[in-house]
Amino acid sequence: MRMKGDSLWLGRAREPVRIATLALAAAAAIVYLWLVGQRVFVSGEVGVHEIIRPEGRIAVWAMLLSLAGFTFFASVYLSDFKGSIEQAPEGFFDVVSLVCARMAMIMIAAIVVVMFYEVVSRYVFSRPTLWANELSLWIASFLFLLAGQYAMQQRSHIRIFVLYDLMPRWARKLADVVSTVLIVGFTFALVWGNYADAQRRFLRMETFGTAWDPPIPGTVKPAVLIIIVLVAIQAVSNLLADWNKAPEHHSPADEIDQAEVETLRRKLES
Amino acid sequence: MEFLELFSWMKVDSIATMSLVLLLGMFALLAIGMPLGFASAFLAVTVIVMKFGPEASFGRFGSGPMSILAQAVYRQMTNYVLISVPLFIFMAALLERSGIAKDMYDSLSKWLSRTRGGIAIVTSIMAVIMAAMSGIIGGEVVLLGLIALPQMLRLGYNQNLAIGTICASGSLGTMIPPSIVLIFYGLVTETSIKALFTASFLPGFMLASFFIIYIVVRTNLNPSLAPLPEENPDDPKGREKGLRFIGFLARFGIWITGFLLLRAVFFTLTGDNEIKEGVEPIALGMVADIPYIVVALAISVAAVFAVGRGRAEEGWQMGKGLIAPVIVIGVVLGSIYMGITGITEAAGMGVVAVFVIGLIRREMTFEIVWDSLMRTLRSTGTIIWVTIGAASLAAAYTLAGGPTYVANLIVSAELPTMGIILVMMLIFLIMGMFMDWIGIVLLIMPVFLPIVLKLPVEEIGVLGQLDPKHVAIWFGVVFCMNMQVSFLSPPFGPAAFYLKSVAPPHITLTAIFRGFLPFIALQLIALSVLLIWPPIVALFL
Repeated sequence: MRMKGDSLWLGRAREPVRIATLALAAAAAIVYLWLVGQRVFVSGEVGVHEIIRPEGRIAVWAMLLSLAGFTFFASVYLSDFKGSIEQAPEGFFDVVSLVCARMAMIMIAAIVVVMFYEVVSRYVFSRPTLWANELSLWIASFLFLLAGQYAMQQRSHIRIFVLYDLMPRWARKLADVVSTVLIVGFTFALVWGNYADAQRRFLRMETFGTAWDPPIPGTVKPAVLIIIVLVAIQAVSNLLADWNKAPEHHSPADEIDQAEVETLRRKLES
Repeated sequence: MEFLELFSWMKVDSIATMSLVLLLGMFALLAIGMPLGFASAFLAVTVIVMKFGPEASFGRFGSGPMSILAQAVYRQMTNYVLISVPLFIFMAALLERSGIAKDMYDSLSKWLSRTRGGIAIVTSIMAVIMAAMSGIIGGEVVLLGLIALPQMLRLGYNQNLAIGTICASGSLGTMIPPSIVLIFYGLVTETSIKALFTASFLPGFMLASFFIIYIVVRTNLNPSLAPLPEENPDDPKGREKGLRFIGFLARFGIWITGFLLLRAVFFTLTGDNEIKEGVEPIALGMVADIPYIVVALAISVAAVFAVGRGRAEEGWQMGKGLIAPVIVIGVVLGSIYMGITGITEAAGMGVVAVFVIGLIRREMTFEIVWDSLMRTLRSTGTIIWVTIGAASLAAAYTLAGGPTYVANLIVSAELPTMGIILVMMLIFLIMGMFMDWIGIVLLIMPVFLPIVLKLPVEEIGVLGQLDPKHVAIWFGVVFCMNMQVSFLSPPFGPAAFYLKSVAPPHITLTAIFRGFLPFIALQLIALSVLLIWPPIVALFL
């Protein structure tokens, strides 16, 4: 797979990243086949329960690491292309947010696949899985958090512009500063009041208490704090990046992207 | 921490003061253009500081009452039903990029080409079908505007009628199940989402039929509003067309009953449909259902031969565009109502169905899927983060006893019940002019619903009596109807801006809003039906 489009930030590193992505995908596939083969031909040593608890099993480590590596490199590679609805990265933190966003986009597709697997095995083969619902829940919690970071980078969080647009330039800048300070203030209060709890659960890798027992509290509780901190950093980055931009008038029409309308129009005419 | 003692005045004992500060703070923060979700989140911090005082809140690093916030966020993040939101958005994004809508339009307009106001009626019907496929508006108005508006303007339809039809019908997406507005209402108020969907069916169809009746009556009173297209001499006419339509339905019926029969036989073979104590029977999948399905299949086959196989084939060709939408609706609503899966899996299966149909139509490419994922992620972030902020605020305010206080305040004032409800409607309508539905449902509902639940149920409505356990469901449908108006109401009705982006340049925003007026009136009539006769929501419950 090779996509078209100018490089946003990787430049000459784009090709190596692409190769790394493909290599890791191949590695993940091979390890997966190896695990399945072992389960079929030798004995069921590695099942769904063991796959999230590697504990010295090399094949499981290889599976998890190659999958994580693939997701990461694929996200890096895909973040190098500007989507038709996106603005080019300008702030100091934008690239990080874009990479995170690509991970989240892969996660949406993953949830669909997991859910489809579950529905088919439950209703066609009458063999419901133990893990599918919890896995989609686990993925979705990260997806929801990262989606907010992306929305922040794209400046698409819901705001009301009625009065803001009437303000003179200096007042708008002041309002932006106040907003950003308050976002940072909320983040500060959140981390202040929850750090100990999140740390405790993370160190214990607290689990969900079900049959498959994924460490959802142990990972999501710290992730809430970490990603909200990332969102706050992105808010600061936006403030700096937009500081000298010409003031723009906002209307609900900004929600609509003309590129999209054009694509649809062409499609209907053809 | 002597430093914190300087701020001990921040602790407020009276819940009335706290509520007032909260209200003023919300107005101030929204006025300066702070994102809604973060404004709520910051106000949640403020409420906690006011409730517990700065010393208790910030006295020791790492713990304290601020943990309420992360608790609330964590609860939202691990909410299984919330997963349906990105999935429904993803499905709508894929659907928009497929040619399914265009084919459906072509099919429908073939059947109704000789009817006065036909294209306007087709637009409304198409909007209802699209609304039953997904629960998102926006894309629908754009699609209808691209497909139907040029046609109507070319035929010389009245511009206001054309505009109003497209936008009002295009907004139906959130009134007819599955509806993202009702999903959020159900999440916030802990009402059964399935019950909400069932309850909103009839009011949604009622509103759609108001639109269609209005179109038919106006165009028949004044035919110049909707000139008929030139007649195509090859087209079948009158009775012939009706027979072809029956032929199409019969052939479609064969496929559907055939599928249901196979399904029932499959369940019988695997033994999944054995009658067991405590296990709900599979709808249309039990052994006892098989004779009925066979009879239906036989009737369909007989009907195909009755109208003639040639006519059935022609009918099939004319109606082909309706098949894909019916399959998608069958997958999504069938999953929910035939007890197969929950809302979340239904949305996931909807994505799979649209994707597979797209593959069969050779329309799916990596670019389309990737682009849809990008839009999905952005809309998800926008919606979910309002939820995060609002959930934190609701948790903090509830802990401080806010909603109970407000509810007692209103109820003890002994105002007339319907008066309170009408004031709420007015607040919804006014807020709907300036704020997205998501903000209203997340911030206002936790305060309003407890009030409504405390009102004497006998006094709600004029005709008929609402079952006390249906009050929350009724109020959700009423809210949904209010939001219908908000999509059209000036000055920021989103439907107008969506249409403006695809309309010819000579159609101004003012003209668009003028076209909305009769349709807003129809929406208000539908709303008053809900208020006057509340049991309408319970007919199918």
